[in-house]
Amino acid sequence: MVCIKQVPATTAEKRYTADLRLDRAAAEAVINPLDEYAIEQALRLQESGAVESVGFLSMGPEQAAEALRRALAMGGDDATLVTDPALAGADAWATARVLAAALDKLAPDVALMGMASDDARGSLVPGAVAAMRGVPLLSYGSELRIEGSAARVRRLTADGFDIVEAPLPVVASVTDQVGEPRYASLKGIMAAKRKPMETWSLADIGLSPDDLHGSALTRVVETRKPEPKPPTERIENVSADEAVTRIADWLASRKLI
Amino acid sequence: MSSDVAFLAEFSGGSPTHAALELAAGAAELAGQSKGSAVALAYGPGAADAAALGSAGASRVVILGDDPSPAITHGAAAAAAVRGIGPIALLAPATPNGRDLAAALVGLLGVPAFGPVRAVRIEGGRVRTEQATLQGTVITVSEPTDEAEQPAIVLVLPGTFSPLEGGSGKAAVEPAPASEAGALGSASIVESHPAEAAVANLEEASVIVAGGRGVGSADGFAPLQELADALGGAVGASRAAADAGWVPYQLQIGQTGKVVKPALYVGCGISGAIQHRVGMQTAENVLAINKDPDAPIGEFADLFVVGDLFAIVPKLTAEIRRRKGR
Repeated sequence: MVCIKQVPATTAEKRYTADLRLDRAAAEAVINPLDEYAIEQALRLQESGAVESVGFLSMGPEQAAEALRRALAMGGDDATLVTDPALAGADAWATARVLAAALDKLAPDVALMGMASDDARGSLVPGAVAAMRGVPLLSYGSELRIEGSAARVRRLTADGFDIVEAPLPVVASVTDQVGEPRYASLKGIMAAKRKPMETWSLADIGLSPDDLHGSALTRVVETRKPEPKPPTERIENVSADEAVTRIADWLASRKLI
Repeated sequence: MSSDVAFLAEFSGGSPTHAALELAAGAAELAGQSKGSAVALAYGPGAADAAALGSAGASRVVILGDDPSPAITHGAAAAAAVRGIGPIALLAPATPNGRDLAAALVGLLGVPAFGPVRAVRIEGGRVRTEQATLQGTVITVSEPTDEAEQPAIVLVLPGTFSPLEGGSGKAAVEPAPASEAGALGSASIVESHPAEAAVANLEEASVIVAGGRGVGSADGFAPLQELADALGGAVGASRAAADAGWVPYQLQIGQTGKVVKPALYVGCGISGAIQHRVGMQTAENVLAINKDPDAPIGEFADLFVVGDLFAIVPKLTAEIRRRKGR
């Protein structure tokens, strides 16, 4: 089961609603780019026969169904969307709580996620979901394998890599080193329209808005633009010797040499 | 509940990591604001000798474990320790291990999470964090809701705090309260493959000379290494250079690599795509050398040199050595 998130495209103009939440309806939305690597990893496991089926799970507004359709166009079998008005503005804790409850119901051997989302970058959801469900976490895998009743990831260390193993079921996250995500083919896009997609409310996964404390344990009290940096100094159309002298002068003026 | 400030202190190879020393200083600063104590939760090889964290800012140290197992396997011990301390905030390094253990605490304790932040303070008994979101285009200031329980878990970017210098004193050391490791404890390292050559730790480098696609080959990194040596720094890379196999992935800077905050960052043949920028945009001084006058890095560098890096970098190395008198 691959958990994916719909995020605003990096090129999109972002807007905030009156209560300082990101206006997700106003921005062009895509599958979180790092989640596409998790999709790719899952589809490779399915192609090699290591897993029987691949499903997709997303929590988000109703439009997140588009992200699930795009994932289904890449491959896989079915999709589940958890959507509820009470989930607007969900923070990392609430997102993990909802995904954990949905995964308890779906009970996959592997719940697979991207290593981070483009719009928040906390990378907390995989570990929090594992802790809430009481299953092990295999994180930041540059490769995920299933070996019998265990899963293994290859994980970068300070100067090399480790192989980390845990018994199934697991929550796992993978990096952008698993292999470039495939494009959806025209055939895939057509096939995706016929694949089953379920839509669940909070009640369907056994949670109430009270369980989520109003969808977050955090609140934004202020947003502002970063302070503008001074304009860039440019050196161009000069010889290499002249450029080097001016770079060295600049480094010296900033006490860097 | 207390007004103490806890922090995750990772040990590696018998010593505290740089991140642990930075967070010790940060926790001491915040504990001053909340009128509590800074308490370390130490884990990893060497954590058993963590009393020396006292000179870095900690008043107390709770030892979660000193084995090299994945950080999240200490989740249950960390949760038991946090329940005992009841801190107002817990600082965690925004590294893969720090995030995993922080996430376990969020899941096990049901407490709010923030970050990665570049500023955090305690005002009137309330934790306030500042985070750059949406690729750095917006800064959001956040706090726990009124019904959220303590602690606020705060992921802290490298370089947000500086280690205390010349400190002395030993922290009181205690073991973590007894706990069942549970399912989180069942992940284990079954193989370890260290590299043949030492790899620089970019998070500790004060000068980074980074190369991208424009460097063209593994050999192309040789002049960058020489410039880094002359400046007393380390070599880094963009994802394009790491993907091409020119340098190990440990040297990759950016969204899926390291986040660095050196005093000087020199980008050579790096276009400055957003994914790279989020890993180095808080560097204090940014120098970029690129053939393309329209490279995006030219829009946010402090000094942008349009030219051939292979013509400029070796001469720059020689000039720096000459000015340094060696």
